[in-house]
Amino acid sequence: MLTPLPSREWTLPAAAHLLNRAAFGGSPEEIQRLHAMGHAAAVRSLIRRGEEEDLFPAPELVPMNYRRIAKTSMTPEELAAAKKIMQIQLREQTQEARAWWIRRMASTPFPAREKCVLFWHGHWATSIEKVKDPFLILQQNQTLRAHAFGPFAPFAKEISKDPAMIRYLDLNSSKVGHPNENFARELMELFTLGEGHYSEEDIQELARAFTGYRIHPVTGSFRFFPKEHDSGVKKIFGKFRPFDGDAAIDLIVSRPECAEFLSAKLWNFYAGEKPSAPLNELLASEYRASGMNTGDFLEKIFLSREFYTSNYLRRQIKSPIQWLLQTCKVLERPLPDFRMVQNTLGQLGQVLFAPPNVKGWDGGRAWVSSSTLLLRYNLAGRLVREGGGSMPDIEKILPASASPQQACDLLAWRFFQGPMSTELRDKTLHLLEKNGNSPAARHDIVHLLMSTPDFQLI
Amino acid sequence: MKHTLHTRRQFLRTSILGGAVSWTIPAFLERTFFTLDAMAADSAIQTPTGKDSPILVVLQLAGGNDGLNTLVPFGDDAYYRARPNLAIPGAKTLRLNDHFGLNPKLTGLKSLHDEGHLAMVQGVGYPNPNRSHFRSTEIWHTASDSAVTEKYGWMGRYFDSCCKGEDPAVGVSIGSQTPQAFAAPEPRGISFARPEQFRFDLKSASDRDAADEFFRSVNDFESAQMDGGSIGMLAGHADAGGDTLDFLQRTSLDAVMSSDKVAEIIKRSRPGASYPSNRLADSLNLVARLIGGGMPTRVYYVSQGGYDTHSNQAGAHERLMEELDSSLSAFCADLKAQGNFDRVLLMSFSEFGRRVHENASGGTDHGAAAPLFVLGGKVKPGIVGAAPSLTQLHDGDIIHGVDFRSVYATVLSKWLNAPVEPVLKRSFPLLPFI
Repeated sequence: MLTPLPSREWTLPAAAHLLNRAAFGGSPEEIQRLHAMGHAAAVRSLIRRGEEEDLFPAPELVPMNYRRIAKTSMTPEELAAAKKIMQIQLREQTQEARAWWIRRMASTPFPAREKCVLFWHGHWATSIEKVKDPFLILQQNQTLRAHAFGPFAPFAKEISKDPAMIRYLDLNSSKVGHPNENFARELMELFTLGEGHYSEEDIQELARAFTGYRIHPVTGSFRFFPKEHDSGVKKIFGKFRPFDGDAAIDLIVSRPECAEFLSAKLWNFYAGEKPSAPLNELLASEYRASGMNTGDFLEKIFLSREFYTSNYLRRQIKSPIQWLLQTCKVLERPLPDFRMVQNTLGQLGQVLFAPPNVKGWDGGRAWVSSSTLLLRYNLAGRLVREGGGSMPDIEKILPASASPQQACDLLAWRFFQGPMSTELRDKTLHLLEKNGNSPAARHDIVHLLMSTPDFQLI
Repeated sequence: MKHTLHTRRQFLRTSILGGAVSWTIPAFLERTFFTLDAMAADSAIQTPTGKDSPILVVLQLAGGNDGLNTLVPFGDDAYYRARPNLAIPGAKTLRLNDHFGLNPKLTGLKSLHDEGHLAMVQGVGYPNPNRSHFRSTEIWHTASDSAVTEKYGWMGRYFDSCCKGEDPAVGVSIGSQTPQAFAAPEPRGISFARPEQFRFDLKSASDRDAADEFFRSVNDFESAQMDGGSIGMLAGHADAGGDTLDFLQRTSLDAVMSSDKVAEIIKRSRPGASYPSNRLADSLNLVARLIGGGMPTRVYYVSQGGYDTHSNQAGAHERLMEELDSSLSAFCADLKAQGNFDRVLLMSFSEFGRRVHENASGGTDHGAAAPLFVLGGKVKPGIVGAAPSLTQLHDGDIIHGVDFRSVYATVLSKWLNAPVEPVLKRSFPLLPFI
């Protein structure tokens, strides 16, 4: 089992690490507040609390009914015009859904759950590019939220019946005699067991278990067509039974590789790198002991000494969403307007509801290339200097009265949650002394410190 | 590590600016220097490869392109039996011989074929094919055996063994992510989607020169930071690929250096042909400008997505073929106008083909072997490799006749003049398309 962190090691940098990884970081005051709670209470405050649902009412959408449009007796011109309206609606509603979620992530008092929803969005990756229905995508997002901190098996069953997933992985045309293998394959390869832990035959047989899953065209909810379901005996992992989808998921989740696969993936997301084999053995047994309950498991991780070892501190590359939200938090500024949010996430490679493929975002070093690094540097400059009425308060970030030495300490803690390297500190001191303390000069130094490799890490 | 960084900085100082220039040179002066010296610097920029060196463009058709509907075996009844809805009638194909024709949308490729600039390689794949997008893409990128997980890419190993000390832009990927094919212990290669954003922007800074000097100095990792205690500390880190901060520093340095050069080339060049408007065309247009502008790049990497046609394939695949064809036609016209068509070889690949039999959703599921094409001024035209059987299948899939690494080996050996074994770890039979 994991070792609990001794209370004397619950320091300010540990609190900063927790807030960075479990959520989206925070200002020096927020880190201070979390630290003052004590370790156990701090972790509980992140995992165990939830905001009222009506704090963030979701956009009210209705399913896009493509079929009804195509069937009506329209002239080709009318049909083309109707399609165009649908496309505009699709684009606008998708943006509305994105704006809603990113605002929720940025301003909820309960960001740890949103971060976990983001994890699951990358896990059960589903893209609007194929689903083409913001209602379904938003419905899935709420399912992710409802199950994020809950037990895995019911979550997996719910997702197998999630209409966005059904459309994304082609379950809606899978029927007895003609099973579509797409969902069955990804379920085992990417969602539960990992490559190499099943055979091609297992996939073909599993696909039969998920036949007959459909989407109600008007309500956008799940429905089951028994006539299109293959109720025959399937051979999965050597067991001959008339598996339906739920029974097949129970069988898969009971495989030892399932807990191992998920514990490693969760650890990689939160700690920043894949666990060693012995560590993952510990993690998987913790996950199993929790009944594969993700909230309980994460609580164990965030309380463990392993999570705070120096190997993991300031070693994770911020995802674009983490970069954007945390940049706003450390600058103590609101999110920029949605257009800029949309552009930023698009250019940096993490568009919500549009993961690149069913594997989700690769993450880690894949977030950074020579191109996205320069983009981050440039976008930081805009977040420091732009925003109309909501410019960051430079006097709060770096008071004019601070001496260059004090200024370095303040900047290092706020932007890096730790000391700067000697060299960076010397250069910063030099620039501070040379450029003086006008607001514009202070904006410059803040921008430049954010235009460093160090700022990309949490 | 340190040696490489030193080499990179040296490269910037000597090759681009044509002599030792201090990092502290004010930005405006540097820009003036670039403009004035653009023509003269041309020869310097060319140093690593020279104006006549061969260039490879790798085009990935991501998602698993349906090979059977790309190079259509209209002479084979089994094709029509397996695909009652999706098969393309022989009369509609662009006939290459009595047995095969190109997809009707590939009119530009057909012209290139007729001019003698296109080769198709049949039945390309590997033993024990993997039908996972990700695993199979990884296999193609790393040139590994199906059962072996290899971390580094085949281009990365080529850069490592043949391009030591060269510019980081020896490989350029158009897109925001670096392809795994470029991965190497000391990775080289840069990636960007839009050149105008590939530049550190200090327009809003109050003191631009001071800010530029600071920025360049903190992205100059040769000095104390790398020599001092911190590097020892970093080296103890468990991650086999080196420390994350170290990775970021290298990427940052490459970005600063290469962005200067790309900006200069883009400023000087104009597209030489009219391109359609889609992402692939944009990427190829950019590649053509970088080639025309004299980048020292040996390998360009571009991709086109959307080939995972599990359902309603007919219209979708047709659109992809059309987009592919019009983009490649413009690219070739551009290179011909530049006089660089003979220097360039473009090869396509896709992680797998589709299954021979269509599925119940009007699509095709993940398959195995498929054809790929090679084009360029020096390509030996024709169809290479035997026509794969559509009746003798393995799990419903075409059995490969040509190992994809034979294609790589041919490109390395006959085109890039590079030794094959350091890159592919063993030898493979060479093919007659070059």
